[in-house]
Amino acid sequence: MKYYKFGDKTGRYIGRTEKYDIYTSTITGIGKDEDDHEERTQGEIYFNYGPSAGGLRESVNFRLLTPGESIRDVIINSGFKRRNVKITGDSISDAMLKVERINGFHSASHSIAYALAVEDALNVENGDLNDARIVEIELERIRSNIDVIKGLCESAGFAVPEKQLLLLREEVARIISSAFGHRYYFSVNGINSIDGDFSRISLSSIEKQFRSIYNGLLSSKIFLDRLQENGILLNPVSSGPAARAANFRYDARLDSESLIYGKYSTVMETSGDTFSRFLVRAEEIFESINIIESYDIKKSYRKHRMELNGTGEGTARIESPAGDLFYYVNINEGRLIDIQMCSPSYLNMRNFRYGLKSGNIFTDFFFVWESFGIWISELEVGFQ
Amino acid sequence: MGKLRHLDIGTGGGVSVNWFISGIRKRIKTEKLDQYQVMYPSILEGVSDYKCPTEALRNGNWDMDKCIFCRQCDLKPTGKQETYSVQHLVPDIFKKSLYLYPVDSGTCGACNVEFTSLFSPQYDSSRFKIFMANTPRHADALVVMGVHTDGMERVLQEAYDAMPEPKIVIGLGACALSGGIIGREAMEKYDIHIAGCPPTPASILNAIIEARDKR
Repeated sequence: MKYYKFGDKTGRYIGRTEKYDIYTSTITGIGKDEDDHEERTQGEIYFNYGPSAGGLRESVNFRLLTPGESIRDVIINSGFKRRNVKITGDSISDAMLKVERINGFHSASHSIAYALAVEDALNVENGDLNDARIVEIELERIRSNIDVIKGLCESAGFAVPEKQLLLLREEVARIISSAFGHRYYFSVNGINSIDGDFSRISLSSIEKQFRSIYNGLLSSKIFLDRLQENGILLNPVSSGPAARAANFRYDARLDSESLIYGKYSTVMETSGDTFSRFLVRAEEIFESINIIESYDIKKSYRKHRMELNGTGEGTARIESPAGDLFYYVNINEGRLIDIQMCSPSYLNMRNFRYGLKSGNIFTDFFFVWESFGIWISELEVGFQ
Repeated sequence: MGKLRHLDIGTGGGVSVNWFISGIRKRIKTEKLDQYQVMYPSILEGVSDYKCPTEALRNGNWDMDKCIFCRQCDLKPTGKQETYSVQHLVPDIFKKSLYLYPVDSGTCGACNVEFTSLFSPQYDSSRFKIFMANTPRHADALVVMGVHTDGMERVLQEAYDAMPEPKIVIGLGACALSGGIIGREAMEKYDIHIAGCPPTPASILNAIIEARDKR
């Protein structure tokens, strides 16, 4: 384990796996959580929404505590669709097929983080793939951020930009498919290997189209009014775009050595509201395009199945589109005996609740929810 | 609300975009379903003795419902977006319109995203009279995605029971149909099987169109 050690907490809090709390360079036992939910008072009700309802892409249940219009608190049950995945005992290559399906929409992030953790455990030299892996993750970030902004347009009833962003999301999926043979990066990443033709990645049209939509949204008083001062979160215990929107310079691209980024600008905002998260997501699309173009990779990589019989523990932490994504693996003679994953959706879900109860009303709900880009699939997964 | 921020950003310069005009200016983006080709997933051909982890290959036969299109075997993709099978024909009444209600039983999220892509300009399912319902009360077809999970079993049954007759059930993706590589199938029987991990939007539309127009 080159980058992490078991011990006392150091640095910022990244989140929680099934067994551990994770910080920037240490792994600790799980700390105590205090239940600080608001008490229901006379005249208040719990409004039940989900787990299956129009407007929810994944299954999750919200119980909104309300006296009628304002939201005082929310109790979230995300466990309905909890998947228990049998993975321990698998060979490190077979396990990849399952890891890349933990969050299909962020599959590049998950599969690369897992591969990096395995390579750390078995001391596999992987420097040659550093830049190509960054390009994959940044391309995934572009699609993910487009999707989040599409969700905000949908919440605002802005059908034209919503459809234009759906079109753009599909175009990025086709670029990914053209370069990597699959629209969701399945079976693309392996241990010390990639299958893809990077010369097929061209983003100039995407940048131009997105710029036009973005400028249109920024010039819309109605859209801005719906997003501003909504879902305010200024919590130092946060991750990814939600943290950067609140002026916290948290970014695994800066403080993790699992992948070494070259020069790039961190996008920051200060207000911590839905609008700030929208700005960060949008500006990061341009920054991701800059990063991809700066590497200018025109190479083709062929995947090779690598079965290693080594033994060891390894970790990796990368910046997925929604924030820090951490993997820990323990390998015995080429087989997984333990795997722990901490997704950004863990902190984002907690912070969604804090953001929602900060003086919002029912119609604000979807704006706040969409702005965090939470995936239940990566939050509710158990490894067996 | 306070003073609006960032109104001076961008080419808009504070002048609101007319989204209606903007939409029209971009012109028609809708495509024919065979206009864009994907290799994985698509119909696979050939023979392989690969020991498939999902048992999609047995005695030389390929079972598309179990296949996660992992590219490990020797079968070759054809690009045909027809990874589906129709078990029961769809009632005639749905030829005029078909409302889909999706339920996520236990997905990785990829099927959910491909399902929403049906409503993107490229695929525009409404031209085929296929729409999305926001409640099972208004739905004609239940679209089941993901593996079986204990928490969603009752929810799935309640959604099915809440739908008016006649109704059909569509299994979307390897997880719903067979459990894929992750678990076990979400339901035992479906009227339409749409294979893939995840199925492409074109495959989903092709399956529904065939089931509806076969008669």
